[in-house]
Amino acid sequence: MNWFKVMTLTMALIVNAAIAEVAVIVHPSNAVSLDQSEITRLFTGRGATFNNGNKATPFNLAESAPARAHFDSKVLGKSSSQMKAYWSKLVFTGKGTPPKELASDAEVKAAVAADANAIGYIDAAAVDASVKVVGKF
Amino acid sequence: MKQLLLATAIATICSYPVQAEVDISGFASVMGGKLTSGTGVALFGLEPTFLANYPTVGVYEDEWTFKPDSKFGLQLTAELTEGLTATAQLVGRGADDFDAGFEWAYLSYVLNEHWTIQAGKKRLPLYYYSDFFDVSYAYLWIRPPADNYTWQIFNYTGVNAQFNYQLSDWSLSGNIYTGREDDAENKLLSEFFGTDPVREIWKDIIGGVLSLNRDWFDFRLTYMTYQNERYSDGIRVIWDGKDTRRGNFAGLSVNIDYNNWLLLSEVNRLTLDGDDYDTYLVSAGYRINKLTPYVSYADFDSEGEMHNTTSVGVRWDFHNSAAFKFQFDDVNDKGVGNNQVAGDSKAITMGVDLVF
Repeated sequence: MNWFKVMTLTMALIVNAAIAEVAVIVHPSNAVSLDQSEITRLFTGRGATFNNGNKATPFNLAESAPARAHFDSKVLGKSSSQMKAYWSKLVFTGKGTPPKELASDAEVKAAVAADANAIGYIDAAAVDASVKVVGKF
Repeated sequence: MKQLLLATAIATICSYPVQAEVDISGFASVMGGKLTSGTGVALFGLEPTFLANYPTVGVYEDEWTFKPDSKFGLQLTAELTEGLTATAQLVGRGADDFDAGFEWAYLSYVLNEHWTIQAGKKRLPLYYYSDFFDVSYAYLWIRPPADNYTWQIFNYTGVNAQFNYQLSDWSLSGNIYTGREDDAENKLLSEFFGTDPVREIWKDIIGGVLSLNRDWFDFRLTYMTYQNERYSDGIRVIWDGKDTRRGNFAGLSVNIDYNNWLLLSEVNRLTLDGDDYDTYLVSAGYRINKLTPYVSYADFDSEGEMHNTTSVGVRWDFHNSAAFKFQFDDVNDKGVGNNQVAGDSKAITMGVDLVF
């Protein structure tokens, strides 16, 4: 029974995570260039500014969005459960606050398009000219 | 002082219903377990017992119980103005019959990108897992090994300054704190290690924590010094002719999370009036998708009190916000006479941790 559940959950995860690529996006006016470790720093609360010194406001996707698990595993190198455990430790000891979560690619794209300090990520297929791509994973 | 700060923090949260956005988050554990065998301690008339949690006296006996490791916590955070937040955390533990109280109540002010000042009531960040001891979802086992987490005081009221710096791929963080704790009727000392009500005071607390991390490596140093004052049944306790004694605590922790291997370790020494109380733990786990089987060994060694626990278990992340855990513990109490704690015991525990 339990093994059946494990199998089912694992398969469900694989199906959910089946998006080709996520695009990390910033405001079109933001000239910053970012590598994976800098993106990780901003999305794990270890830094609050871009490497040019400007304030950074990260937006996360909700767990129900397919690109979330892909981003957690490909960019942060962790499962969504591991990230939740990581943030639990910080939140309940007053050491950090996780990035604000938005429900869909469209909401993240709108938030990033409207804020010069924002950084987010969406399914690469959803990118348009309202945002600028700084990395694909 | 404590009441005042608490009242201020709560009043501050409650008086900003319109301006402030209040975030509510929380955690819970529902854990049941029982002894599979145990010796108890005939000298104290103690029945077979697995002391799973020293500070709150969480004990498993022959019958199934859900009390020792079950708990819930509710955290309210209100952002008051730019950089100023008020946080309160209400925790109810099965070991206290779910009688909930404010374990944390503090104001936090972000000075700049690197420094934050906090004032109020917080958990003492003594050992690696001390300040998130109740948030079991955040760590591997059912509970941090009891042999290490034995100290009777786990909160303080005071001031804390925390910092965070980035040095290329390394993150350097930590905090410096000072304060005191006055526990009118200390549970561990009053109920388990004695029968008279004990008022336990840790004052002139000064401590610091320094952490160095990169993605898979985590290194932590901790130090704290304090003065201990104690009243047993209202009468001040005298140690070697003195009515206070100094404790100095130092600890080192190294954790590795690499290619699905987890290696956790901690070694600590408390020197109290010249006597050393040494503790260490070492755990290893291997992550296979959502399952993480683990083994663990923890040890306590002082002048007379000596005990260790060997544990095996598994964590199953069956849900994005919840984990099922099963653990078997084998406690070996090597103390003699009055230096025994709860005797040898073997116990199983299982249940679910979650966060929301």
